[in-house]
Amino acid sequence: MNEKIIETHDLTVYYGKHRGIKDVNLTVERGEAFGFLGPNGAGKTTTQRVLLDVIRPTSGKATIFGMDCRTQGVEIRKRVGYLPGELALYKDMKADQFFMMYEYLRGANGSKGFWRELAKRLDLDVSRKIGNFSRGNKQKVGIVAAFMSRPDLLVLDEPTSGLDPLIQQTVMEMVREVKADGRTVFFSSHILSEVQAVCDRVGIIREGQLVATQSVEELFAARLNRMTLIFAGLPSVGTFDIEGVTELERTEKSVTLEVRENLPQVLSVAAKHNIQDIETHNMSLEEIFLEYYGKGNGGSHA
Amino acid sequence: MLRLIWQELKFRRGAIVGWGLGLCFFPIVYIGIYPSVADQMAGFADLEFYKAMGMSLGTFEDWVASILIALMPLVASIYTITNGTGTLAGEEEDGRLEMVVTLPLPRWQVVTAKAVALTISSFIIYSIVSVVSLLVFQSIESQIETTLVAVDMFVAVFSAWPLVFAVGMLSIFLSAFCSSRRFASTISAAILVVSYFGNNLSNSTTELEPFKPFFLFTYLDATGKAVAEGQQAGDVTVLISIGLISFVLALFFFQGRNLTVGAWPWQRAKIES
Repeated sequence: MNEKIIETHDLTVYYGKHRGIKDVNLTVERGEAFGFLGPNGAGKTTTQRVLLDVIRPTSGKATIFGMDCRTQGVEIRKRVGYLPGELALYKDMKADQFFMMYEYLRGANGSKGFWRELAKRLDLDVSRKIGNFSRGNKQKVGIVAAFMSRPDLLVLDEPTSGLDPLIQQTVMEMVREVKADGRTVFFSSHILSEVQAVCDRVGIIREGQLVATQSVEELFAARLNRMTLIFAGLPSVGTFDIEGVTELERTEKSVTLEVRENLPQVLSVAAKHNIQDIETHNMSLEEIFLEYYGKGNGGSHA
Repeated sequence: MLRLIWQELKFRRGAIVGWGLGLCFFPIVYIGIYPSVADQMAGFADLEFYKAMGMSLGTFEDWVASILIALMPLVASIYTITNGTGTLAGEEEDGRLEMVVTLPLPRWQVVTAKAVALTISSFIIYSIVSVVSLLVFQSIESQIETTLVAVDMFVAVFSAWPLVFAVGMLSIFLSAFCSSRRFASTISAAILVVSYFGNNLSNSTTELEPFKPFFLFTYLDATGKAVAEGQQAGDVTVLISIGLISFVLALFFFQGRNLTVGAWPWQRAKIES
């Protein structure tokens, strides 16, 4: 996993005076699935569009496979499958006509007809007009179009948006297969459970700036433990003034703590105060994500 | 790129058939009825109102020039405006263009394919109408007084195509420039209508004379003489040049700008090299 597939250096995009992304530095290596997390308007789609040369950076640089996204976009796109977040398709075409057109324009590169297999797997009726499809079926068309050339890199913007849970699972399975095949996936999502399930690393973008890039394991290792201690007689205020521990809430019989370190000391102090029960609560990726956003107050609408 | 051109042409199949048949209304009706209205038309030869509308109805050649050379390109240009602005700005607005520009194709090929497809489709439409004009003329030739032969009719009708081409490329340029289909089509239509009436009115009043070079219809001779002898090579060259310059400008502006952002050129951030 050493070869760098995506690299950005101080990547900045401004739409006039409005911020798109600012000084984004990230690296995605071969064979990994990288989850790009952030609320609407944080800059996820902007970053992906810069990678595909749909939008040009105001400053900074982005490379894919070591090639400059601005000047070598054609060579890059030969090896990239892309699913846009705001998917728009030719409504008058049947799905199979669309895939044949897409294959014809891309060049099949040894993957001729692979779309049939993908469509079958996603339970997509390719004989119907795209204009008659539900949102979920249109999304399936976009997913098939992204995967059909067996690209070295998949850039997916909210891939499971509008899909039913069973198909979401299938798509995640397809992502795992791409990863197992040594290929790379860069995808943005709001659904943290799927990021947690398939990603090796995640990047969290907030108001256009990358605030964290960590492996999912590291993110969980750094997670905060919350525990509610229930006492027969409540200990006095200040009892849990221990380094790495924050008292969050206090009721008649319980104290809720956020414990970042010194857990044995917390338990020792609690034992001295006639503790009756302990309720622990490990933070999910979603809660960790919200921590980065100040309990969900972050993000803007660019 | 040939693949993309072919695909763009396939998208326009319906429009080619529809507009081709629709525009045949002009030769079928207006040439077809001429034998029955010829005497009446001769009386309208010198009316100022018709002159202001770019029409001179005295002879069969004048009649053909007024309808098929002056008026029909105005209608045919509606096709090139709707298609030219729809193909870049329209597809950008509804998001389809993102699926195309993220294919392994350089942007200049995307613009070129769309421009070539629009040019070929308008060429085919005009060819259909020109052939139908020839056939209708043959059917009434014996009933009218004219020195024209059938091939003159084909050439006369087809000679208006360079104006339609110029309007189409102007639309593509505006579409590449501003990303708003409504704006691009409004400006294109305004140029077309102002050119039409401006040129016609400038024949009646000297006040518009200085502006005449800016009207596209100045370079389309819609008189009986042009029907008999053909368009001036210089005028055809001007119209083709306007089309080609517009195409080059379209390439330039589309190559350098962000897509799917919807910002006007002056609102876009300066990109560092």
